[in-house]
Formats: sequence, structure tokens, C-alpha cells
Amino acid sequence: MKRYIISRTLRSLLTIVVVFTAVFMLLRLMPLEGYFPQEMLKEIDEATRMSYLRNQGLLDHPMVQLWRFIKNLFSGDLGRSLTVYPKVPIATLLKEKIPVTAAFGFASMIIGIVFGISMGLLMVRTKDRLGDKLGMFYILCVRAIPSVIYLFFIQVWISKWFNLPLIFYKDRPSSWILPTICLSLGSVAYYALWLRRFMVDEENKDYVKFAYVKGLSQKAVNRRHIFKNAMIPLVAYIPSDLLMIISGSLVIETLYAIPGTGGLLTTAIKAQDNNLVQVIVLMYAVLSVVGVFLGDLLLAFVDPRIKLTEGE
Amino acid sequence: MKRFIAIVLAACMLLSMAACGAKETAEPSGVTAVDVSSMTAEEQQATTEAAANITAEKEYLDTYRTSFSSSYASFNYFSTAYSTVRGIVSSCIDGLVEPDIYGVYAPSLAESWETNEDQSVWTFHIRKGVNWVDHNGNDTGLPVTAQDFVDGIRYIADPLNEAYSMRVVRNLISGLYDYYWDLDDIDCGDKDDMTREEAAARFDEMVGVKALDEYTVEYTLDGSAPYFLSLIESSMLLLPIEYDYAMEQGEDFAVDNEHMLYCGGYYISSFERDKAITLTKNPLYWDIDNITVDTVEYQMIPDGTTSLEMFKRGEVDYVSVEAEEYLSMQGSEWAADLIPTERSLSTNYLWLAFTSANPEFNTFVQNENFRKALQYSLDREAIAALRDPVDPARVLRGTINAEGCIYDENGKDYTDYAPLAAIKAENYNQPDKARAYMEAAVAELCEADGTIKGIEAGKVDYLPVTEFDVDGKLPVTVVYVGTDDEDEIVMAQLMKAMVEESIGTDLIDFQIVCFSGWTYGTVADPMNYDIYFDSLSTGYADPSGILTRMTTDGAENVGCYDVPEYDELIDKAMEAETFNERLEYFAEAEAYLCDGAYVIPFISSLRGYYMTKSMPFTSPLTIYGNEKFKGTLVMAEPLTYEEYVTLDTAYEIERAKALAGE
Repeated sequence: MKRYIISRTLRSLLTIVVVFTAVFMLLRLMPLEGYFPQEMLKEIDEATRMSYLRNQGLLDHPMVQLWRFIKNLFSGDLGRSLTVYPKVPIATLLKEKIPVTAAFGFASMIIGIVFGISMGLLMVRTKDRLGDKLGMFYILCVRAIPSVIYLFFIQVWISKWFNLPLIFYKDRPSSWILPTICLSLGSVAYYALWLRRFMVDEENKDYVKFAYVKGLSQKAVNRRHIFKNAMIPLVAYIPSDLLMIISGSLVIETLYAIPGTGGLLTTAIKAQDNNLVQVIVLMYAVLSVVGVFLGDLLLAFVDPRIKLTEGE
Repeated sequence: MKRFIAIVLAACMLLSMAACGAKETAEPSGVTAVDVSSMTAEEQQATTEAAANITAEKEYLDTYRTSFSSSYASFNYFSTAYSTVRGIVSSCIDGLVEPDIYGVYAPSLAESWETNEDQSVWTFHIRKGVNWVDHNGNDTGLPVTAQDFVDGIRYIADPLNEAYSMRVVRNLISGLYDYYWDLDDIDCGDKDDMTREEAAARFDEMVGVKALDEYTVEYTLDGSAPYFLSLIESSMLLLPIEYDYAMEQGEDFAVDNEHMLYCGGYYISSFERDKAITLTKNPLYWDIDNITVDTVEYQMIPDGTTSLEMFKRGEVDYVSVEAEEYLSMQGSEWAADLIPTERSLSTNYLWLAFTSANPEFNTFVQNENFRKALQYSLDREAIAALRDPVDPARVLRGTINAEGCIYDENGKDYTDYAPLAAIKAENYNQPDKARAYMEAAVAELCEADGTIKGIEAGKVDYLPVTEFDVDGKLPVTVVYVGTDDEDEIVMAQLMKAMVEESIGTDLIDFQIVCFSGWTYGTVADPMNYDIYFDSLSTGYADPSGILTRMTTDGAENVGCYDVPEYDELIDKAMEAETFNERLEYFAEAEAYLCDGAYVIPFISSLRGYYMTKSMPFTSPLTIYGNEKFKGTLVMAEPLTYEEYVTLDTAYEIERAKALAGE
């Protein structure tokens, strides 16, 4: 186990270094004009533009810039945003934005797991009957209809029927309800669909038939055998999902004016905010790698058949 | 594919409207604005009383709730490129002067001012007893003095502070240009005969801004600037700064509300990035009696539909409404509250590439008949209908500078000077004339068999935008390059149809290339186009702001034409002894450029409607700068368009008197 963890950690670090360096270098291939908004570009002459770029250190050799970033990173300085939030410390930005996104993400994840698993169980229990069909209808709607349509419907009409605020207000808990529900719609469908599928798969296996032959009730077989085994593939994703709740949703955060991280990476890339992109990519890369790693560990924990190293 | 079909259908619909001469564009809400000059004294009196009654009957609130749609990156008013930030700062940092509700400059932080005869030296006497306050509204004990205005220039004069839109101020204030570039040369190692500290120490002797005493500041300019007060209104770069405080903050200066100081009617009491901003009345404000709203609340609402719905539910007090929404709201309870937007200083025009790599176009564009053929082939009203299908006429603009923003010493609108008045009166939708002009151009530039003289077939490289072959024969190939913005594609399709229908496809082949991405750097700057669509804004009360940049070697001469006659008129304007004479030359120069179709202005950027609970005409009339909340009155119910028209008429009566000095 210890050997596995060490080897896996080293491989994870290598992945992070490769991803980060590639992104860092690719950003330096972007045209210099991209550092200026269109509005600004027309207003300032070439000499002023170069002066600005020089002051920001953007004309230095990429390796010099990389070294500077790494040095600052290890001294705890994430740098300042270049173009999206000029001069604002990135640490301040993340401190402001991550808690908001994470709070919504966590709440929606809990709702997703609880309601998704409940719905999946209900669908299995009522397979090919009304409950199953209603569940399938919900899943199809969520996955097949472009999300903007139903999200917009929920925002405008549901808010009107239930007299809820149209956008998010920090100090009005009633305004937190709709965005949380909207955020969890997809994960409810995800957990319900896959739990149903895995449970149906398990139901047809020999050990289940053997359990019935032994005289166990359907409820007992479902609870003790089928559900546990069906959950194994889903469990592996939970750590990743949990860590990546900080990435937010661009559409929902935009619709409800939630000042979170949704769309931050896209905006930063479009505005060529190198510093911001680097930090976010690094953060997401670390979280993804750690998430997958923890997922594997969790898998070994919940499934005794899985061993992480040969000989153990 | 669907999108393409939709665009083609839209273009067809608009063309058919244009072809039928469809002018069934009802005045919004059926209420028409009244021409004040044609009213009798009794009618004027009655209107003024009706307006006073409307104002008196309303119930007013203490809080104004509005919205913003894009992020407030920072509040650094010297370096921000975002007009939204400037909007907020305008209410929080006062300048030397500000316009009153009629647009006449009134004292602000300067109690009085004077200028020398040629208006190149301006002296301002600063109001005493005004202190900077912090984000809690607490008195910092730091007074606003003449030095704060000098330090404002000192701050922007340092390239490391990355001041935005420096060009006008840098070229105007004496010595500022050299001082700025000396520092920059030292920063990039091109100048080593002095240290940065030594160069910075020369600010007071080099730059034409001085604190004559604690409360008197003097600006020395490189030339006559009769428009200087309007520049103070429009430019953030002439605002004051508490320099020691700013230096202490370093890079954190104004990154949020807590790292800046305020001397205006409001301070930013709370700031949630990308979410909400609250302005609170500054308790120490020198003109606190005119701060009529205690709190201004901004909410970020990223899309128009949500903000419209929020206005209907009473959650915001102002909403802008696009023309399409305006049409869909007709017949609803809100139809009576829709008010057309009043003013746009920005003009949309077509650039023609005079050093085009396309040999066919390059030959023709030098010919005035060809340019005029293009000019007379456009039905501007049909194009304007894309912006405002309800009342396209209000969007039309034939001049480069906007009407209603530059006045001479007698109160006459600059665009009413004879050369420009003729441009405004001209009907450019004359297909027959366009064809005749084109035939004249063809006669001059082509052989009898349609071969363009001196041109050979070849490949034209506009990469990464496009590349294409030309055969050196008629029809002449013209490439319009635009963005992939849906509205712009429809406009380009419409132009193509108009040009080809008016001039004839036997003589012109109008091709459209839509480019996704960054158009200025990829299309305009390297001249990868024959025709290109852009806009320019009148920045302050003088045509020089745009026109001096459009000379042969000017920064805005994107098309690279060479018109010595125009340059000469601009030189004469700049050397004119009186402001009226200056405007005469500028008008002549602008008309020369438009009449010769070196550029083709066709519409303004005016668009849309709005609904509001704010009483109009109670705040400073900021034509060039940003809206201020001083004097704002917030009503409990939305203003109707009918009420607006009455108030507008009464306002125009009073404004005419104010401008006449009565």
C-alpha cells in the first residue's frame, strides 16, 4: 500500500508538472495584442502597449516568467490578475469566489446524491412500471433538452409562482433555493440513471440468484448485495465531484448572478490573463489528480475484491 | 445552416421594407415631442406648469436600485478601460468643474476659474474645506488641495501606473509627453543619461501643471483648448488623487472600495466583486443639499431578460430595453412606460482601404466616382431599421461628429454649420445616381472590354482572414470584412444587396467575409480588408478629438488615405483665432472627408429604449462624461412616456434660456 501511494504520488506530481508547463508555454504563444481589450487597443498606441507589456513582465523570456511564477508560488504569492481584474491579488479573488461556488456545489452535490440514489432505488423497485417510467422521463428531459431552456423556465416562471427572487442575494436565503435546485438537476439524473443501470446489471448475476435461492427477501438482497455492489463504480467519482465543486457552473452562476468561479477560467483564457489561468489550471489539475487518487483509495476501501498492489 | 437561412430571410425582409419605402414607424407610444421654438409664450408657460405638477405629484424614495452587466474589475479611475467603472467613480470623485442640469459648466471642486486670451493656460481656484473620506464615510482629515490635482497628473505621467487613454491629455498638457516617454525610455533601457529618480524629479519643472498656492492649480497647455472644461468632464485623468495615500497602497490602490479615498457626493460603502456595489451619501460632501438619494444600490444582472423581469417585479428602478423587446411589449401594461434613449456620441462608418492589396479595389477606391457610387447605394434608413425598427430615422447620422454635443459661442450646433448641414440634408439613398457614378468610374478606369487598366489577374492574400483570386476585369471585386456577430452579418448582407442592386452585379461583386475573433489586430491594423465597419466617438466639446486623428498621418486614418486638402483645413482650424472660426474650418474639413466619401458615416450607435423610476432632467447633463447621481429623484412608480415628453419639453424651454444666459 505504501509503495503504491508513493508511486502514485510521484506519477500525479509528474502529471501536474506536465499539464501546468504545457499550459504555461501555450499561453506565451498567444498574440501580444490579446492582452488588451478591443476598446483599449484602439485608444493606445504601439509604444504605450509595449510599455505596458514590459511593465507586466510579459516581454521576458518564457522560462524567466516560469521561474518567477514558481518562485513566487513557493513563497505563497499567487500573483495578481493581469487583465480580467487588473492588479487584484489572485489569492483575494479565489478567497472571495471559491466559498460561494463551493457552498452551492456542496449543497447541490448532497441533493444530487440523496435524491439521485433515492430515485435510482425507486426506479429499480418499480422497474418498467410508473415510477421507473417517470424517473426515466425526468432523466431524458434533463439530458436531452438544452439546459438553458429549462433553467430559464425555472428562473422566470418557478420564481414567479413561488414568489422567489430572480437572482441570488447573499442575505436572502430564499434566493439560494432555485440555483441550488438547478445545480443539482443534472447530478440527480446522473446518480439515478447509473444506479438503476448498475443495480439492474447486478440483479441478473448468479450470486443474486443464489441469494434468492437461499431464501432472502428482495429487500434484503437489494440492501445487502445489489445496492452495495452497484454503488462501487459510483463511489469512485465522489471524491472528484467533491473537490471539483469549486469549479462552478458558468450558466447557472450567470443566470442567478452568483459571484463564483463558474466561467472564471474561460474568461481568463479569453482575456489572456496568464497569471489567473496558470493558478486556476494548477488548482484544477491538483484537485483532479487528488480526486482520482482518493477515488481509487475509496474503491479499495469499499470493495474488498480490489487490491492496490500486487502481493498485498 | 438554420442561422444562415434566418440571416438571409431577415436581410430579405429588410430589403423588401426598404424597397417598398416602408416608413410606417409610429412615434413611440403615439406621443410626439414638441418643437419648443414653435411654441407660444402661453404654451410654454402651460407646459412648464404641467411639468411642475408632474414633479410635485410624485412620491420620492431614498434609494435608487440599478444594475450592471459586466464585472467591475477595479476602481482605479486612472487606469480602467471600462466605462462602467467610470460611471461609478463619477459620483464618488469630483472634478474641478461639472455641468449643471442644462450642460453649462458650474463650479465643483473649483469654486472659480479663469483662462488666458488664447485659452492655453487655465487657472482653477479650489474650494476650501473639502476633505477626503474613506469607505466608511469617515473624515480622513486630508484636505483636497491644488496639489492633489497636480499629483493626479504626476500619477498618470508615470508609465508604471498604466493610465488608460493617455493620448489626448498627454499631447495637450505642456511637457507631459516628453516627461512620460523619458521615464519609459529609462524603464526599457533606451535612456541612460539619468536615473529614474532624477527623471521623476523633473516633473515640476517639465510638466505644465502647477499648484500656485494651496488652493490654486494652473494647467499650461501646448495650444489653445477652448474645450478644456469639457475635457475635465470627460476624462478621468484630470481627477485628483491623494498621492501619499495612493503610494502607500501601491498596487492595491483602488482594487476595491477599501483601498481608495473619496471626495464626491458618494462613497462606495460596500463592494462584492461581480455581485453588488453600494454607494452611500458622503456626509461631508460640500454640496450635500443636492445629494437627493441616500443610497445607490447596484446589482450585477448579466442578461437583459432578467433585468427586465426584475424591473417589472419592482426589484430595480431602471432597465434598458432593446428594440425587439420594445415591439413585443406593445399592448402590455408596460408599453406606456417605454422611453427612447436620447443620445449617442458614437458614429458608425465604413472605412475604405486606400492601400488595398486587392488591385481591383485599390484602383477603384482612388476614384471619387467609385467612392460616391458606394456612398449613394446605401439605404441608410433600412440599415438603421436593424438597430431600431420602430423609429430608424433617429439612428441616422451622416456626419462624423455627433449632433447635439458641440456648440459654438452663440449656441449653434457644430453640425449645423453650412458644410455639415448640407451633408445632413443630402439623401444618400439614390440607386440611379450610384449607378451613374459607377459608370463614370468605369469609363475612367476600364478598357472598353471591361479590363481594368493596369491590373493583372492574381491572388489576393488577406490571410488569416481570407484569400481570393481577381481577374483584373469587371465586375470589380470588393471584400467587406466584418465580425461574426449576428447583427453585423445581417447588416453586411443588407449592404451587399443594396450595393449590388444599385450599382449592378455587372460592375461590382460585393463579397462578405465574416471573421471570428479579434478583428482590430487581424483585420483593421494589417489592412486585410477592402471595406471595414467601425465606430468613433466624440469625446469632448471640440471636433479636434476625432478630426485631428483622421489626417493623412493620423492614428485613426485606418484606411490610409492621403488627402492634403483635408490636412490643410485641419491645420487652419488648429491655428484659428476664435472658437467659431475654428469650428468653421473643422466643419469644412469634416464635410470634405464625407463628401469625397473617404469615409462613409451612416448611422449612430443609438439604440433601444428604457424604463425608469428616476425623474429625468434633475441631474447634471453629462454629455461627454458619465451619469452622476447628484440631484437624482427616485419615484415610487415608473415614469410614463407621456410624462417624459411633458418634462422634456419644459426642460428644453428652460435649457434654451440657460444656454442663452437668461
